[in-house]
Amino acid sequence: MATDPPVRPLADSGALWFVVSAVGSVGGGWLAQQAVTHPPTPGGWMKLLAALALILLAGFAAWKLARAGVYSWLLPLAALSLVLLRPGRAGDAATWRLEWGVMGLAWTLVAVLVFARLLRRSDELERRLHLEGAFFGLVFGLVGSVVYALFETRLPELRGQWVAVALLLSWWVGTLATARRYRWRA
Amino acid sequence: MKNRLRVLRAERDWSQADLAEVLRVSRQTVNAIENERYDPSLPLAFSIARVFALRIEDVFTPDAEPPPPSRQPRSPR
Repeated sequence: MATDPPVRPLADSGALWFVVSAVGSVGGGWLAQQAVTHPPTPGGWMKLLAALALILLAGFAAWKLARAGVYSWLLPLAALSLVLLRPGRAGDAATWRLEWGVMGLAWTLVAVLVFARLLRRSDELERRLHLEGAFFGLVFGLVGSVVYALFETRLPELRGQWVAVALLLSWWVGTLATARRYRWRA
Repeated sequence: MKNRLRVLRAERDWSQADLAEVLRVSRQTVNAIENERYDPSLPLAFSIARVFALRIEDVFTPDAEPPPPSRQPRSPR
């Protein structure tokens, strides 16, 4: 009988490109923030170019994840983009604030849209994995909301952004746990 | 649900990837079905049977036969 290579769990196959993309987007965002200063500094252009290169590298790594079919890693990438979305760091200037916000939102939207497109092309087991993962995320979100309500007087103010990040991450964890259940044995 | 996927593949010298390509599913899905970790949907089960030119019950069998009915149906009064 023709032989097949062993089936690896999702967690093993996408981790490298996820790390590259995460480092690229975080590093690129940080460098861009350093480069765009008032007044402009002599090394600003170099920093800006390096930031663009890192952001392009992050996009390339995300594309590799999608091409390898391990697109569930796009979920934590989207969560990371939401963490980076801090329009307040642009200070009081409304235009800068808008630009920082649009950049973070664009990353998040692209990740979610690509994920949805790939999901439509997946087979029935892959859809089941994501459905069960999303269910896990929803349950986590509901339980988390109730627990927060119980202790809200002692906890810091809840931000919608953090709720979205927690939902995306719990969806991803649920998907990995379900994948392990179906595919662990090679 | 039990299945004879591995045996049928071996008879034809097909890899999981070969079968997955014909069925238009991922190799992980074929692997999960073969290892009886996932029961395919009815359309996919029919597709698998068609690929091997068999009836669906020649490929898939239930884990256990259903128990016989414990009571006789009531006769109409």
